[in-house]
Order: sequence, then structure tokens, then C-alpha cells
Amino acid sequence: MAKYLLKRILFSLFALIVVTGIVMVLVYTYTNRNDLLKSDDNWKKRSGNEQKLYEYTVFQRYGYLEFVDYTTFLKTKYLETEGESYTQNEDYKKAKNAISDSATFQDYPDVAEFIDKYYGEGYDFVYMPVLKYASGKEKAGGGAILLAVNEKSVWNRLWDYITGFITFESKYDVEDENLTDRYIRWEDDPYSKLPALVGSGTKHKYLIYFDSRFPFIHQNLIKINLGISSVTYKNQEITDVINTPTGDMKVVTVQYPTQLGTDQYTETSIDFHSVTYNNAGVSDSDRAIFTDNYTVYSYQKKGLTMLENSFIIGFIATVIAYLMGLPFGIFMSRHKDGLADKTGNFYIIFMMSVPSLAYIFLFATIGTTLFGFPYKFATSTTKIGGYILPVICLALPGLGNVMRWIRRYMIDQMNADYVKFAKAEGLSEQEIFSGHIFPNAMVYLMQGLPGSILGCLTGAIITERVFAVPGVGGLLTTAIDSKDNGIIIACTVFYTFLTILSIILGDLLLSRYDPRVSLTDGKGGGR
Amino acid sequence: MNDNYDSLFYFIDSNTIESEKIVAPRYSYWESVFRVFFRKKSNWIALFLLAVLFIGAFGISWFCPYEPFENITDSATFHLNPSQAMEYFGERSFKWCLGTGLHGNSIAYGILSAARTSLVLAAICSVINMTVGVLIGAAWGYSRTMDSIMLVVYNILANIPYILLISVLVYVIGAGFWSFIFALTVTGWLAIAFFIRTQVLIIRDREYSLASRCLGTPTGRVITRNILPYMTSVIVTLLASELPSYIGMEVFLSYIGIGLSASIPSLGRMIQEAQGVFLTYPWEFWPPVIVASIITVILYVLGQNLADASDPRTHM
Repeated sequence: MAKYLLKRILFSLFALIVVTGIVMVLVYTYTNRNDLLKSDDNWKKRSGNEQKLYEYTVFQRYGYLEFVDYTTFLKTKYLETEGESYTQNEDYKKAKNAISDSATFQDYPDVAEFIDKYYGEGYDFVYMPVLKYASGKEKAGGGAILLAVNEKSVWNRLWDYITGFITFESKYDVEDENLTDRYIRWEDDPYSKLPALVGSGTKHKYLIYFDSRFPFIHQNLIKINLGISSVTYKNQEITDVINTPTGDMKVVTVQYPTQLGTDQYTETSIDFHSVTYNNAGVSDSDRAIFTDNYTVYSYQKKGLTMLENSFIIGFIATVIAYLMGLPFGIFMSRHKDGLADKTGNFYIIFMMSVPSLAYIFLFATIGTTLFGFPYKFATSTTKIGGYILPVICLALPGLGNVMRWIRRYMIDQMNADYVKFAKAEGLSEQEIFSGHIFPNAMVYLMQGLPGSILGCLTGAIITERVFAVPGVGGLLTTAIDSKDNGIIIACTVFYTFLTILSIILGDLLLSRYDPRVSLTDGKGGGR
Repeated sequence: MNDNYDSLFYFIDSNTIESEKIVAPRYSYWESVFRVFFRKKSNWIALFLLAVLFIGAFGISWFCPYEPFENITDSATFHLNPSQAMEYFGERSFKWCLGTGLHGNSIAYGILSAARTSLVLAAICSVINMTVGVLIGAAWGYSRTMDSIMLVVYNILANIPYILLISVLVYVIGAGFWSFIFALTVTGWLAIAFFIRTQVLIIRDREYSLASRCLGTPTGRVITRNILPYMTSVIVTLLASELPSYIGMEVFLSYIGIGLSASIPSLGRMIQEAQGVFLTYPWEFWPPVIVASIITVILYVLGQNLADASDPRTHM
């Protein structure tokens, strides 16, 4: 069994990697990246070489390539040796102008150094000579540009993605020579009054800590990197986006780190557990709050995270669907061709065939006009009110689905030989139904159970959009709208992972529930 | 006893040739299918509605050409309800009986053209997916080498959520009519093929098929005579759920913004354009929704009933 499971998991990982690769090829190789520029006003404003350079900036932002500009290279080089006033340096000026001469620029020592450095790292070079009018005057935006460009191949991209998928924090993460005191240790957390694992030299200050938010214990030690958003959530990691609370600021009365030990308190929304290391230099206003260099913070919000919003709505709907669908479906099968069966069948056909969009809007209209349920989730005045309509819209089709299958399987089982035998043995109708037919019919539903619960984590696309629920359902569609390639890849990996996991869990649950089912072929209970 | 009755009886010769023949009632499969199908009255109603839809979508729509942007320069025509529209255009005509939409376009004409697009789309996608799916599925189930290869392919591709794949494909290859069909069919056949493969696997080793193979029936004949006829009702059942699903899929994809391009009238696009204002301008939103629902319900009900009728066990 363990061997079988290991084989399954390894194959699933392989499948996951292949799927990620396929989507990467689709997204990065087969999309027309020039479409990005068509609607970009900044691109239209520019001309000549400057416009070209801007194109590379855009492509880099969307993750198509990486490039280094020769002037940026010079800046970092001379900033190190000459300090802030490097722009006045004669060598720098000379080096900067060296590329204007298209015939001899490659011989200039700085250019040669630039080329040598990036050639070794597998970069290609793009040289754009000065654009001049016939009169010899330089065109607007026509200055010479030298770039080292790295068009990532799919293999490199995939390799980078896999190797960077999980990262662990260590006390050597922060690159700052002035930081000498590096440690990871348990300390008393002044905000939770409980112990917390605190790091110095790590990216986050609090690595393991407690607070009042569900699930009460949190960690920053291990990080899963699904992908980085390039447009919608500026440069944020998707796992952070879906796990960050939404809604209004939550104001609490706490002490700033500088106020600890005194009896001063301040009203603030700053989440002191979220602080990360500030490399850019601490401002004076931050100095008044913080005692160390961990000064980059986020705010506490009143709402739940996107993932929690989606999951709660989906989970309640799934539970309702199963709790109501099973008895309804069983009742229908027991009174086959009766009035209840016909009504139920009509409902099932309606749910099966009418486009989901149609009935969601139908329920929304009925719910808001007849029952006065709040229409938009976010603007709902009561906390529970906003959940009513989304849950109904998700539960009703799920209900139809459960009813459909349990009825089908019950009727199939009713014609089986063992039922006739049980009848001949003299078992009552009730005993046969609850003791024999129902458990056998449930065998088929067991497989799908983990999937329907894990599926809640992907959110509901239409329902969430119609009722303005801040959830994860719209993540992929908005990413596709805004050509946010990082999110598309992240969603692919996340959804595919959930699908694979649901199938494996479903099989395990099935073999647990029904001893006749054996996942490993051959000897024993195999059918 | 009355001897007069003897005259009513006479001797006949025994016919050895005739006695060798086995007489069974004449049975034609498809005739029985349609006899069972038309026995149900609800099918007549559904067929009538389908005929009305077809006349509307393929007949009337030729005489009522839909021009979505004909009034785009006249902002007074935007979002008019039926009575306002008829008043504004000064005619009590079919064209304005459902009011105007976002750009002063006629909703009634739009629905006719959009219904045509939806029906054509569903038909093309179903034909492609069913043909490819059934053919590959039959070969997949029959050949053991192919089975081992295809299972790996299937296990990888089946892990990709369908919506994700279609969305990414539409995003990558653009939003035209044919690229949309490509996106819907490029892996759509896989699930059908897998289903057929399992069915073929079951039937392939049944006794009658085995006996037929032992008697030297060639493979092609085994597939076409022994296996495929057995699966007619399964294939029709599949078709019954495939056809409406593409209409629903188009509506869904257009709603989330990755459907057909703006120049092609489609139910999904009409719904998507009106969904933001469905409480203020309900005449723009509900007609395409209702038409889409009617089409899918009719196709689903007809398909299910045809599938029931195509099961030989119902023919007795």
C-alpha cells in the first residue's frame, strides 16, 4: 500500500510538473507579447530607441525576459567606487558615451567588461546605434542603447520555478554588512504575551507566533512561492495575496516597540507580527515606532482572507448540498416514478441544463426583491447577511448533482441480485434500504467527496463576481484579462495540485470505505 | 356430431423447405428507436419548440440582419425599453419589440443571430469531439499498446482543470470563432475517448465477441459489427449532455470575458454586456438568458429521451 501510494504521488508530481511546463509554454511562447504594448500610453509617447528600451522593460515586468541596461551596469559600478557624486566622474561620462560610436564601442574597457560578465551568464546582446536625421541631428529618443537580454527558455523557467517553489528563512537572508547580531531564538512576544520564534537576519522578524486570528498560530518560516503577480497585485506573491485579510482597517490600542516598557499606548492598525527587514534605510517616522531595522509592515484588516471567504462559502454550500441531497435522492429512488421523483427530476434537469449564469442571476433577483437579502457581499450590513445568497447559489446546483447521482446509484442497486436475496430472506424494506442499498450506493459518491470539499479552495467564479465576494474565484479570470502571467501559472499549479490531491484522497477514502476496492492490483481483495 | 362441419376442413401437404425457416417478427433498430421516441408526448412538444428555434435562428435571422453598431452614433437610442424604442423609432415592429441594448442595438434581432451562433457552435464542437473521441476511444480500448501510451497522456491531461485549459487557450490563441472551437475541442475529446475506451474494454472480451474472433472475423468487422452497435445508446447519451454543455460553456466564458470576439453576436456576449445593469434594464438581460436556457433544456431533454429510446431494452 505504501509503495503504491509513493508511486502515485511521484507520478502526480511528474504530472504536475508537465502541466506547469505546458501552461508555461502556452503562456510565454504562444501569446503575442506585442499586444501588451497596444493599449500602453507610455509606449505610444516614446519613440526610437527609447521606445524599444521601454518594450524590454514591459516584457521584463510580465516575466518574458530579463535584461540589464549598460547604463544601469555603469551606475552600480561607479556608485561603488565614486560614491553619490559618480555622475560628475569623467571616466563615467566617457564610459557612458562610449556606446555612441557603433564602430569602436566594443573595444572600450567598460563595455568589454559588461559583455564579458553577461556573456558568461548566457545573455544575448542587443545594440541599438544612435538614430540621426540626415542633417546629423539626433532623433528624439534616439540615443544609443546596449542591452544584455536573457530570453528565458522554458526549461530554465521551469527549473527556476521548481527550485524556488519552497523557500526557508535563515538568519543569513538579509544582505547587510552592518547587521552583525544574527540569530533565531524563542523570545517573549510583547503582543501575544506568548513565546514566539524571533529571527534577526531573517527576512521576517516573527517566524512562529500566536495571535487572535484563526488558526491562532502562524509561521513565516517556510514559504511556498506559487508565482508573482506582475499587474493586478503589484509584485506580490500570490500565496501572500490570497492569505492576506481583506476589508477595512482594524484599529487596536497597542504599544509601539519604542513604547514598550513605558505606559504609553497608541491606536494603530499596524500588524507588528508582519514586519520584514528594511534594506532601503529606515525613515525618521519609522524610527519613532521601531527599535530595529524590521520596519516594513502591513495593516490589520477586519475581514477574512480571500481564501477563507471562498472556502467558507463553498464549504457551507457543500455541506448543505450533501445533507439535503442525500435524503431527497433516496426518497426519490424509493418512490420511483411518483410525484416526488418527477418533481425532483424536473429540478435536476433544470439545474443540469440551464447555464449556471442564468440561475445565479435568477436566484439573485428573487433573493433581493422577494426576501430582501443583501445583494453585495462587501456592503452587507450584517456579517451573516452577505453569505446567504452566495451560499444558496452554490448549494442549489450542488444539491441537484447529489440528488441526481444518489438516485441513479440507488436505483441501480435496487435491481441487484443481493436485494432479491435479501427480500427472499425476509428482510424488511427499511432494513434493505438503509442496511444494504444505501451503503452500496454511497460507494460511488465517496470518491468525489474530497474533491467537492477541496474544490471550495478554488472559489466560485460567477457567484463571487455577481455578489462581489472578495474571494479567490476571480483570480484566474482577472489574471487572464490583465495578462498577468505570474498569476496564471500560480493558478494552474494550485488548481492542478488540488485536482490531483482530490483524486488520490478520493481513491484512499473509497478503499477505506469499501473493502472490496483494492488500489493495489493482484492478490487480496482485488475485484 | 354434425358431419356437415367436415367440409370446413381439408388436408395440406407438409412443406419441408418452409419448416426449416425460423420466422421472427421483423425488427429494425432505428425504426424501433423512433417508434419509442415518438410515443412520448413531451418529445413532440420539445421537437416543436426546437423547430421554432431553428426557424428563428436559421430562417428569420436571414431576413433580420443584426447590426450591433447601427445606432452607435445616436446616444438617445441606448438602453430603451420596448415601448420607448417603438416610440423612438416610430414603428411597431418585431425589431424593437424587446427594446435596445448598450449601443442602441436591437435585442430581438441580436437574439436571433446569437442563437444561430450558439447552435452552430454546439453542433460543430459536438461533431468534432464525438467523432474524434469515439474513434480514438475505440482504438484505445482495442489495442493494448495504445492503451498503455494513452493512459499516461490521459493521466497528465485529465489533471488540468478544463476551465483553466480553455481559458488559457482562448487567451493564447485569441477570441475568433474558429479559435474558440479549437480551444473547446483540443482536449474535449479526451474525456469522451476515455469513456468509450472503458466501454470497449468491457465488450471486447465478452463471450460473443471472443467467439466471433475465434471464428476468424477480421478486426474491422469486430469493431463495426460487434462493438459499436452495442454502444449506440451510450454514444447518444454522451451526445445528449455534450450538445447543451457547449452553449453553457460559451455563455460562461463570454461572461468571464474570454469568449467570442465582439463582432460575433453570441448569447454569452449579450448576457455579459447586460449583466451589470440587469436590475435597471432587465429587458436586455433576461431575453438572452431565457433563450440560452430554453435551447439547453430542449437539447438536453430531447437527447436524454433519444438515449432512452436507443436502448434496445425499451423496444419491447
